[in-house]
Amino acid sequence: MSRRDPAAGSRDAEEGPGDDGERNGERAVRTDGSGDVGASRLGRFAADLHARPRRVGLYLVLIGLVGFYLAPLETGLITAFKTQSAFTETSPFAPPPFGGLTVDPWLTAWNRLAYALANSALFAIPATIASATLGSLTAYGLTHIRWRGQVAVMALFLAGVFIPYQAVLVPLTQLWGFIDLTNLLAPLPIVANYVDLIELMITHTAYGIPICTVLFRSYYQSFNEDMLEAARLDGASVFGVYRRIVLPLSKPMFAVAFIFQFTQVWNDLLFALVLITTPSNGVVTIALNQLSGSFVQQYNLQMAGAFLAALPTLLVYILFTEQFAEGVAGRTT
Amino acid sequence: MTRVTLDSLTKHFDDDGNTVVAVDDVSIDIADGEFIVLVGPSGCGKSTTLRMVAGLETITGGEIRLDDTVVNDRQAKDRDIAMVFQSYALYPHMSVRRNMSFGLEESTDLDDGEIGERVESTATMMGIAELLDRKPGELSGGQQQRVALGRAIVRDPAVFLMDEPLSNLDAKLRAQMRTELQRLQEDLGVTTVYVTHDQTEAMTMGDRIAVLNDGRLQQVGTPLECYHEPANLFVAGFIGEPSMNVFEMEVEGEELVGEEFTYPISSETREALGDVREVTLGIRPEDVEVLTRTEGDRTESDRRGGDRSSDRDQGGRHDFRTVVDVVEPVGDGNNVYLAFDEAATGTESVGGAAGEESAVADDDRVAMDLEDSDTFVATVSGLRRIEAGEEVYARLPEDAIHIFGAETGEALRSRKLDDEETVEPAA
Repeated sequence: MSRRDPAAGSRDAEEGPGDDGERNGERAVRTDGSGDVGASRLGRFAADLHARPRRVGLYLVLIGLVGFYLAPLETGLITAFKTQSAFTETSPFAPPPFGGLTVDPWLTAWNRLAYALANSALFAIPATIASATLGSLTAYGLTHIRWRGQVAVMALFLAGVFIPYQAVLVPLTQLWGFIDLTNLLAPLPIVANYVDLIELMITHTAYGIPICTVLFRSYYQSFNEDMLEAARLDGASVFGVYRRIVLPLSKPMFAVAFIFQFTQVWNDLLFALVLITTPSNGVVTIALNQLSGSFVQQYNLQMAGAFLAALPTLLVYILFTEQFAEGVAGRTT
Repeated sequence: MTRVTLDSLTKHFDDDGNTVVAVDDVSIDIADGEFIVLVGPSGCGKSTTLRMVAGLETITGGEIRLDDTVVNDRQAKDRDIAMVFQSYALYPHMSVRRNMSFGLEESTDLDDGEIGERVESTATMMGIAELLDRKPGELSGGQQQRVALGRAIVRDPAVFLMDEPLSNLDAKLRAQMRTELQRLQEDLGVTTVYVTHDQTEAMTMGDRIAVLNDGRLQQVGTPLECYHEPANLFVAGFIGEPSMNVFEMEVEGEELVGEEFTYPISSETREALGDVREVTLGIRPEDVEVLTRTEGDRTESDRRGGDRSSDRDQGGRHDFRTVVDVVEPVGDGNNVYLAFDEAATGTESVGGAAGEESAVADDDRVAMDLEDSDTFVATVSGLRRIEAGEEVYARLPEDAIHIFGAETGEALRSRKLDDEETVEPAA
């Protein structure tokens, strides 16, 4: 596509997503006027004039969409910085009026959520790592090692992905009633204080294995079989191949599994409500829920709390973004 | 140093309840230090055989012995075998150095210093010393190939297995690596089993070649044995480029009668055929002599040049009139595609069986002609000028012909090698 002035070119390059739309518009216009092939320069100038209103329209639509999507976030953030009275006096979207700006909700939320954030991290991080690691190991066993009946086992894992949380609540409580973890862990001084969290951690790990297995399996199927066979011929054992070849090559998929699994586990309220009985073991989703007062709704406090609670998942996402992209795009080895 | 013995090796695959026989009763004795090439078309079972030797496939029947130890149930990692894969199979996350040391770390008790030394010296020998700290992804195909070889060599295994290691290289590099591999193998003296579908590789590299087809071993022998004394029609057609010319013939008295021509044979040859009636006549393109004149056409002035009547094929018994269909110059030679001149062959075979055949047979013959475009190939000197459409005589010397039983495909008579042929200078 020829361009008449370099400035327009560089402008287009900067504009990213809008670029294509604009180009299409321009092309369409040009086809309209292309009856006369000779009058190229004049024709292009006319097309440019024609195209400008289209481009303005496009950006208006884009800005509208951005506003639409970001409005809830903006509302939440603004609300978190408003005093209670400022909140009632102004529209939720509007910035706080003079004197209505405060960071108190954040401090209060922090004070009330800090222990729960720590508790959540305490069970969510091990649960995430454990289900990703076990999922990876299982997937390796289901793809690159041959044994009888692995299709049936794979089918079970696949079914496991689709079991809803609600369906297992009763059996789950029965199970943990049957296994007396409190007594089992009683001899261990500090650990004994976190029985509920350990139950929750084990539950989430188990629940996360099927989806992690499915994720890793499709990734491992793309591996070059020759490479793993070469490692076996080089003298590596089945586990040696996993540890030295498969595991190091799994980084991108681990990023995907970490992000996905951590978000799931961290944000879960249902299992936590059922399994957490000791108040000191409260996790962030429960604590956040308790921020909504019973008499007065303190929206600024709730909003600040919600942002604090969401921060770790955002952090994990940022931490693994690069690897995540690689894992989703799927790389060939 | 190790002998490898394949004893009635058989492999069945289960394909949705059907049993597919991939390798059928293959027995080969591979001597210590020998370079043996398994060659055959794709799907002939050569790779499966190799993978069974490696321990990557289970063995359905038969035995594999390294020296005198049966290794059927020994795991791949315990067989002391190194393999080079077609895809190179390098570990993408490791540097070349780590790629090469991996096998030594996993399979030996050498300390890091010794491993490092061996890697360095092998890399130097392979000319990849400057690549040691790069990752496979940063290497060209040829360099990756070298690393893959180096990775196998550094382990100093009992046996090398190579599964079409050169087929991903461009033609020039492949020819170069072919020579280099041969030299390396000779220097190292390690028993090597090499799989390829490329008959040129097989011919040029192997001490012996084993030709496989449909999972069955067709012939094991030196490249020249397989070339000059093919055990059957398949080997005859597979080895050699361009392929051997073959003609379906029927034995009638001391003649082979075909669709296009009748070929008189000596009583010695006749004896070799026994009571087989349907045969296939084969002749290599380079053995077909292309003459502009035949003995019968000779004038006195021709005879002056020398006493050519000493030629074994006196009187042009084995000369047939043909028309040049296509000429393919390949530089050092020309591949000349010849078609039988229908009218001429009729008059040429005086008193031949053709005249006595019924009209029904004649109809059949026409139908056959339409099915296969009946040309055959002769290779002549590249400097000789020959044009399409030219009428020439094709001489098929009896010494050079192969005869196979049509039903079994087994060779009944192979060309004679011991007595030197007299070369008929083309006019």
